[in-house]
Amino acid sequence: MRSREADVLSPESRVRGPAAAAVVGKYWAIFRTQLVNSLAYPIDLLGRSLAIVLFMWIFMNLWRVTYGATGASSIAGLTLADTMWYLMMAEAVMLSKRDLSETISEQVKDGSVAYLLNKPFNFILYHFAAGLGHSLLSFGGNLLIGSGIVWLMVGPPPGIMGWLFAGVAVALSWLLDFCFSTLIGLSAFVVEETNAFRWIYQKFLLLLGGVLIPLDFFPAWLQTISLNLPFAWIIYGPARLFVDPSLARLGQVLLQQGIWLAVFGGIVWVTYRRAVARLVINGG
Amino acid sequence: MPAISVRDLRKTFQMKRKAAGLRGSLRALWRPDYQSVEAVRGLSFEMEDGELLGFIGPNGAGKSTTIKILTGILHPSSGEAAVLGHVPWEQRQALAFQIGSVFGQRPQLWYHLPAVDTFYLFGKIYELDDSSLKRRISFLAEAFEIEELLETPVRKLSLGQRMRCEVAASLLHKPRVLLLDEPSIGLDVVAKQRLRMTIQRMNELEGVGVLLTSHDAGDIETLCRRVIIINHGEIVYRDKVSALKRRYLTVKTVDVRYNEQLAPDFSLPGVEMVKVGRYGAKMRFDTRVTPVEPVISGLAAAGSLADVTVSEPSLEEVISAIYERTEA
Ligand SMILES: Nc1ncnc2c1ncn2[C@@H]1O[C@H](COP(=O)(O)OP(=O)(O)OP(=O)(O)O)[C@@H](O)[C@H]1O
Ligand SMILES: [Mg+2]
Repeated sequence: MRSREADVLSPESRVRGPAAAAVVGKYWAIFRTQLVNSLAYPIDLLGRSLAIVLFMWIFMNLWRVTYGATGASSIAGLTLADTMWYLMMAEAVMLSKRDLSETISEQVKDGSVAYLLNKPFNFILYHFAAGLGHSLLSFGGNLLIGSGIVWLMVGPPPGIMGWLFAGVAVALSWLLDFCFSTLIGLSAFVVEETNAFRWIYQKFLLLLGGVLIPLDFFPAWLQTISLNLPFAWIIYGPARLFVDPSLARLGQVLLQQGIWLAVFGGIVWVTYRRAVARLVINGG
Repeated sequence: MPAISVRDLRKTFQMKRKAAGLRGSLRALWRPDYQSVEAVRGLSFEMEDGELLGFIGPNGAGKSTTIKILTGILHPSSGEAAVLGHVPWEQRQALAFQIGSVFGQRPQLWYHLPAVDTFYLFGKIYELDDSSLKRRISFLAEAFEIEELLETPVRKLSLGQRMRCEVAASLLHKPRVLLLDEPSIGLDVVAKQRLRMTIQRMNELEGVGVLLTSHDAGDIETLCRRVIIINHGEIVYRDKVSALKRRYLTVKTVDVRYNEQLAPDFSLPGVEMVKVGRYGAKMRFDTRVTPVEPVISGLAAAGSLADVTVSEPSLEEVISAIYERTEA
């Protein structure tokens, strides 16, 4: 046995070719494994996607009454159909966020983070790949079911440009949310309980991010505040772009997302470096 | 060059101390009160390439902390360490390609997926090419007798089956050093035996060095030639396992049974009476202190003997004696 097996894993059995290929290969494998993992319970996945049906039904009843009462066909430039499609995109983004901060906090608390730090990959990029694998499926599901129901309620969705622009903005919004969640998760290395941070972040998204109401309906002063905070560019930006796919708006959304990404991406990186240096691993 | 060398390693944790109740919590927020825990206090030892080294100690002795430092996921407070020539906490990623680790209390296989999926994922993570990975998986599957288990979702495996898969997973990239922190925790006798045999076999076959912690003396006895015992973060004993036993072999436990009733105040000079019953007694003595002959004749003189059993301490007892002795 020895003779046959001794050479199985010589150093040459590491992937040949450019090192970059191997590196991309490992994060791709992490992404794919998480994707398969999400598919392990298809019923569960479907069930979670059905939540959006309930949300859209409630919103429909709410806004039909509101639009009816004002008698106007559009409020702040949005028709009832626009508002519903906006909310569908906002909800799809919100509901498919993976609670990464909770995942990281748990891993830190129970000590399983040990296995993620002693493998040859970057901890942050690992969560990036796994989180993407997780969100992609549920975003797809939410989008499909949400579109179906809203189409039945208010008619066809925005044109192809809306989908295209929103697609780009949703990708960046996902990255921005990834930064926030990672920061909250990493704080578990320092403080014991991260629930408070998570709660605050969720509330900011709900109230100032435009999850429940398009920010255009806010009074001017509140709009100004919201639009100058990053939360709007996680939810409001992509959803608004979806129903108003103008180049001007695209530019504005991408610029804001880019700025906030640079800021928070940098903070995540620095925090990660410092967190790992003072790492305390629990349990065992 | 030794596979692992550790010099004067120390790790002190700063733990926030907090008084009970809400008031305590609030006060801790304003003025955190730190308490330091010295988990590792000046460890120095070496492990040879390909060696099976036992690393044992009572709960809280600092074993897991040491292993975490050696895998590079924890920074020591001071001291030096080299694993395969790398300073673990400075070259964690480079080292990761050459060592494997299993923390028995934490699963690393994906719970909802078959083990083979995690194996393929690890193959990518360790940058193995596909054909070597396939051969490696089938080799390990055979060695660990897990061929039939690989396709089953991990959550459906028994603990023993899962543990064999866990250890196999940690060997995928053919590490030169394996750090096993309580791999046998919770396993039954048979499962333990199987796991031991496989670890031993991999050590013979591939020369992988194993640093093993366990609370089961049997693991150490069957697997390791050398053992390090630590308590309160310090080494209290290090030698060959055989020497450990030999050193304490002079302590004999004698069980006697008589055909007639025994005097209630039955005792022998230089012998510790563990238990005296009506028809028998259990006693212990050290042959270096008390010669054997007078004990035997004393026993014979006490009445008509029905049965005598003389036994030496098990490794387990030896180890717990060392723990107790160092409990100061
Ligand atoms: N993250 C931490 N923060 C504070 N103290 C810690 C931490 N981790 C470990 N300790 C302390 O360090 C000491 C050694 O712990 P360690 O886990 O290394 O023990 P061990 O030998 O592995 O014990 P066991 O056999 O119970 O697993 C203990 O007193 C423990 O309370
Ligand atoms: Mg331990």
